[in-house]
Amino acid sequence: MTKREERKLEKRMNKIEEENNKPSMVVNPTLGGKIANVLIAVFLAFIAVICIIPLWHVFMASISDGYALLSHKGTVWLPVGKVTLAGYKLLFSDSSILSGYFNSIIYVLGGTLLGLLMNVFAGYILSRATKLRGFMIMFCVITTMFSGGTVPTYMVIKNLGLTGTRWSLIIPGCTNAIFMLLMSNSFSQVDKSYVEAAEIDGAGHLSIMFQVMFPQCKGMALVTAINTAILKWNSWFEASIYVPNNREYWPLQLWVKSITASAEDFLKSANPNYDKNLLQYCVIVAATAPILIAFPFFIGKLEKGMAVGGVKG
Amino acid sequence: MAKQKKQRELSDTQLASRVSWKRDWKKNRMIYLLFLPIAIYLIIFNYIPMTGILMAFEDYSVRKGWFHSEWVGLENFVRLFSGSGFLIAFRNTAIMSVLNLTLGFFPPIILAILFSECKWIPFRRFTQIISYVPNFISTVVVCNLVQQFVGKDGAITLLLSNLFGLPNQNWLADSDIPVFWIIFVIMNIWIGMGWGSIIQTTTIANINGDLIEAAALDGANRWERIKNIVIPALIPICMMNLTMSVGTVLMTGWDKILIMYMPSTYNVSDVLYTYTYRMAFGSKVDYGLSTASGLFQSVLGTILLVISNKLSTKTTGYGLY
Repeated sequence: MTKREERKLEKRMNKIEEENNKPSMVVNPTLGGKIANVLIAVFLAFIAVICIIPLWHVFMASISDGYALLSHKGTVWLPVGKVTLAGYKLLFSDSSILSGYFNSIIYVLGGTLLGLLMNVFAGYILSRATKLRGFMIMFCVITTMFSGGTVPTYMVIKNLGLTGTRWSLIIPGCTNAIFMLLMSNSFSQVDKSYVEAAEIDGAGHLSIMFQVMFPQCKGMALVTAINTAILKWNSWFEASIYVPNNREYWPLQLWVKSITASAEDFLKSANPNYDKNLLQYCVIVAATAPILIAFPFFIGKLEKGMAVGGVKG
Repeated sequence: MAKQKKQRELSDTQLASRVSWKRDWKKNRMIYLLFLPIAIYLIIFNYIPMTGILMAFEDYSVRKGWFHSEWVGLENFVRLFSGSGFLIAFRNTAIMSVLNLTLGFFPPIILAILFSECKWIPFRRFTQIISYVPNFISTVVVCNLVQQFVGKDGAITLLLSNLFGLPNQNWLADSDIPVFWIIFVIMNIWIGMGWGSIIQTTTIANINGDLIEAAALDGANRWERIKNIVIPALIPICMMNLTMSVGTVLMTGWDKILIMYMPSTYNVSDVLYTYTYRMAFGSKVDYGLSTASGLFQSVLGTILLVISNKLSTKTTGYGLY
């Protein structure tokens, strides 16, 4: 069956399921029921508006006129003054934001792939019946309970010579014992007869792991991978202590932080360039847009994974 | 069937623990070899830093290192608990954690119930997806948005001053008691509300349709159906979420606070994490105090985690370990 047919079939199945779940009896909508329906819809719309207003405000501000914006108060519903892209031009004329994008992508991809690999390995190992299984699980669990804290971790990374390199932002924090344990829960739920059959056929550990068991644990793998990716994408604190002076290694978020924090400094100069007022908005748009554009593509899968895994991200 | 499988799995592990070490090694040495990289990773990034706890009992000097610095016993802890900064940070952590847990508990549930009651599917889907958006905005950006909206002449500030006559000021710089806490809690609700409702929405969708139909036939109106069918179905999953989040509550949002707080509001906004951070990387470096505070926080976090895990396993039969 081709992928397309498969998808079609799935859609049809979903439709049938939905119809089965619906109460078949027609509930006569009373007046009160109708009013309640409207109220619910209005409330949900209100929530949606609250969730989106701040972004709308920033987007509109980013294409406003820099000077007019200075004296504007409250939410920017529509562009203030003349619509201009000067802010974006200014932002991308400096290569720092582009290098920020590049670094963030490296950190997210590298960290997520490495983390996923380790989670899958750990999940497989911890799900196998071995004599040391209990010990290995304990070995992982202890790390969730006790931690040295920020300072000792920083010193270890410094002594490894990782500070001031990209590795300090990829390797530490790419996984943690909780993700490993979640993965191993998911691996242990795979029916053992599959594994036994594969073993009889002479499959090695790697092929059992990736060809037999992994396809059945994709949901949980996706949840851990996306959680890692979000953590890596959001992280700025690690960069601010591990590579504070290496601006060429700064991830996007640290640029956002430093640009928004010094947003009003330009006013101190004698002849201020008011386009700089737009920088803080433009950088937020630049940092948020990629995720929002990618959003519709992965949200359905992620939702399903969340529901199956039952974990909160 | 499920019971059988469980029994078999149990016997699998039991069998494995009965075989002799030699046979186990022969059969499973590849597995142990594969575990090696993971063990090394955990040792480097989790176990070695744990030995750094020693610093809490030392007058640490960078030159001498962890193992040769002067041993001062509990002096760091005495200084920690007698200084006012730490106690304030502790109070703020406790209050903000409790507020986050209690006030953050209801919005996702209410939202999930409303989503499930909305019968106009495309609209429902649309609002649902939009409500996830805040969860995917990065921390730095969210904090900047908050700063813009509650700052002087910000949208929320203006709204409040027009509606209730509150002063037009930068609310983040206000060091009066509940202001920062309210901002912080509302911010967390805004971020997590939609995303947190996913599991509840799925749970509601999985309720047997016949049950609701039967209730409707018996004359139960919408509110009664929600009260008697939907909410009882939601209770286990909500309890599980609550108990699981108790364990990690100390950690939530400290990096947001690090961006939003300022020296003039330390008395309401400083938390254990930011206190630890300032003692280690701030202008007045004191590794001893920082590690002692970190250790205190770690112990507290562990106690909470163990208790919440116990509670969760007891009430819902689902725990992490």
